[in-house]
Amino acid sequence: MTGTARLGYAINQWKPNFDDFTRREQHVRALKVIAACGFTGIELRAGTGRWDPLGRPASIAANYGSAAAFIQLLRQIGIEAVCSWYFDPGEPIGEELSPGRSVLDAADHKAIAESVKPFTEFLALSGGSRLVVRPLPSAWQTGELGAGALATAADGWNQVGAATAGLGVRVSLHADCLSAAADASALDALLEDTDPALVGLTLDTAELTLAGLDPVAVYRRHRDRVDHVHLKDTHHVDEAGERLRPHAEAAMLQAGGARGIDRWFCECGTPGGLVDFPALLHELRADHYPGWLVFESEQTPNPARSVMLNGWYARQVLRL
Amino acid sequence: MSALRWSYMDHWRADTPRGPMTQYGSRRLMDDFVKQVSAVGFQGLDMFDFQIYGLTQMFGSIEKYQEYLQDHGITKIVNLFRGIMYDPRVTDPHVRATHDEIVESTRRMLGMWENLQIENLIVMPASLYPDTAPVIDDKIKAAAECWNRVGEMSAGFGVRTTGHHEFFCAIRTERDILKFYEWTDPRYVSFFCDTAQHCIAGVDPVALYQQLHGRCSGFHFKDTREVDTTQAFAHRPDAELMAPQTARWFYEMGTEAGLVDFPRLMRALAEHEFTGWITVEHDKANIGGDYAESTALAMWYAKHVLAEVYS
Repeated sequence: MTGTARLGYAINQWKPNFDDFTRREQHVRALKVIAACGFTGIELRAGTGRWDPLGRPASIAANYGSAAAFIQLLRQIGIEAVCSWYFDPGEPIGEELSPGRSVLDAADHKAIAESVKPFTEFLALSGGSRLVVRPLPSAWQTGELGAGALATAADGWNQVGAATAGLGVRVSLHADCLSAAADASALDALLEDTDPALVGLTLDTAELTLAGLDPVAVYRRHRDRVDHVHLKDTHHVDEAGERLRPHAEAAMLQAGGARGIDRWFCECGTPGGLVDFPALLHELRADHYPGWLVFESEQTPNPARSVMLNGWYARQVLRL
Repeated sequence: MSALRWSYMDHWRADTPRGPMTQYGSRRLMDDFVKQVSAVGFQGLDMFDFQIYGLTQMFGSIEKYQEYLQDHGITKIVNLFRGIMYDPRVTDPHVRATHDEIVESTRRMLGMWENLQIENLIVMPASLYPDTAPVIDDKIKAAAECWNRVGEMSAGFGVRTTGHHEFFCAIRTERDILKFYEWTDPRYVSFFCDTAQHCIAGVDPVALYQQLHGRCSGFHFKDTREVDTTQAFAHRPDAELMAPQTARWFYEMGTEAGLVDFPRLMRALAEHEFTGWITVEHDKANIGGDYAESTALAMWYAKHVLAEVYS
């Protein structure tokens, strides 16, 4: 679109459950589908354990021989880079005997910065440049956060950003719909308190929409900080505030909430989708956005279909 | 400028809340289908001729449907597959008394498509093997006479009539296929090479193409993991879905353990400077598989493996 933006796909949609998508031939088929639809990067999601072979650099090495061997396979298939890796410090990491860490706890900051090093090294090796992180835990867990708590979190991300910067990888804050960061004032404060040289913002169109934020408005407000984009659509806004209720991960996202929603997210261009992608692309083009545009399709009933529909929309409608 | 363009032969099924459906079921399913096929690089679409009825209902006319395809990145409808259920009482190529009906019903069908630039009318040149056996020369000659007449008629529409030899078709062995093309007029009857069908029948599709390249007007590129070792071709009432040997004969090209040597075939195409459309097909992909994934995988193979040989 600007001559520099590149198209990636988040491979997380192929793994809806912890014991799905474990075999190498399944990975190869997914990667070929992604490549066939014109995407040249993939985003991985951090995970743990033997049934998540793409969850950690060590797991990739165990399954593919080495990081280099996996990267070579990607390039044979037509994928140029692992453009980004999603990391939530709150998730357990069996390999580190960690039940999960909190960026709201300053005592955890050093361990979080240490924990992301292998991901950073892998990204640098594979042509990637973004460590996409969950900036704050779920809002129903944190309650309303004061300025002090947000400053603590920001300090933590500055430390992590400093740890990754040396390898050319930036930390990018990704506010999912349940995160306490999916709130205009909290997001403003986090970005105000973090170092723009070290920490950027991932704009996720559907997550923000579902949380009640307009992604185009968020982009306009923070355009100088957006260094990564997730593109997906949704038909829904959480007008009832279900994201703030206990166990929203299960009650809302998994079970569908009070409205019994089968699927919160959908492909770009789905009829009735709420995200104004042309408006966002207009803004990105105006700024000559140079980063990755990563398409996603969590909760899809058919991953290949979703990649194909997103690929069509990217090429035929967004002219990417 | 590429020598080759890729078209997709439609056998599509989509999973829906009410079970598997074709894209002819609703405009929404059609939108999804066309977008997916276009997304992976297909520029053409092949289909059965009888789909004109549903498409006319959905879009008003077949011309408007092609305009809709063009709006979504598909250049044209390339080939039609003639959907005749052969019956020796009414329409059967080896029964000369039925030739008039075959010619005239095909003329009527092509008339409905005449405003489009269809390239090939693909036909199974003989009935099912068990409905024709024993396959003797006179029956092959009768079929040749039939398709010479159809081909002469279709030429008037600017459409080539071309023979597609299913593994269960009566004209299925290399010897009989070569006889058929010897007895048909090259001006009116072409050869359409379906890689998997020949492979299942024990015929090397590359060797067959080498022999018939001057007659070849197109391809169905699809793969198989099985050669018919059980005389499935003779299985009544049906070989394709009901023979005991396997529930699934066809796979997308590039499939693991696929028997078709596509790179060798592409070298043969390059040798003979074939230009034009190649059609990708993988019918019955939903048996243990998925049409969307098979379609994307096939085009990955075309772009990343076959294009290295010839494009």
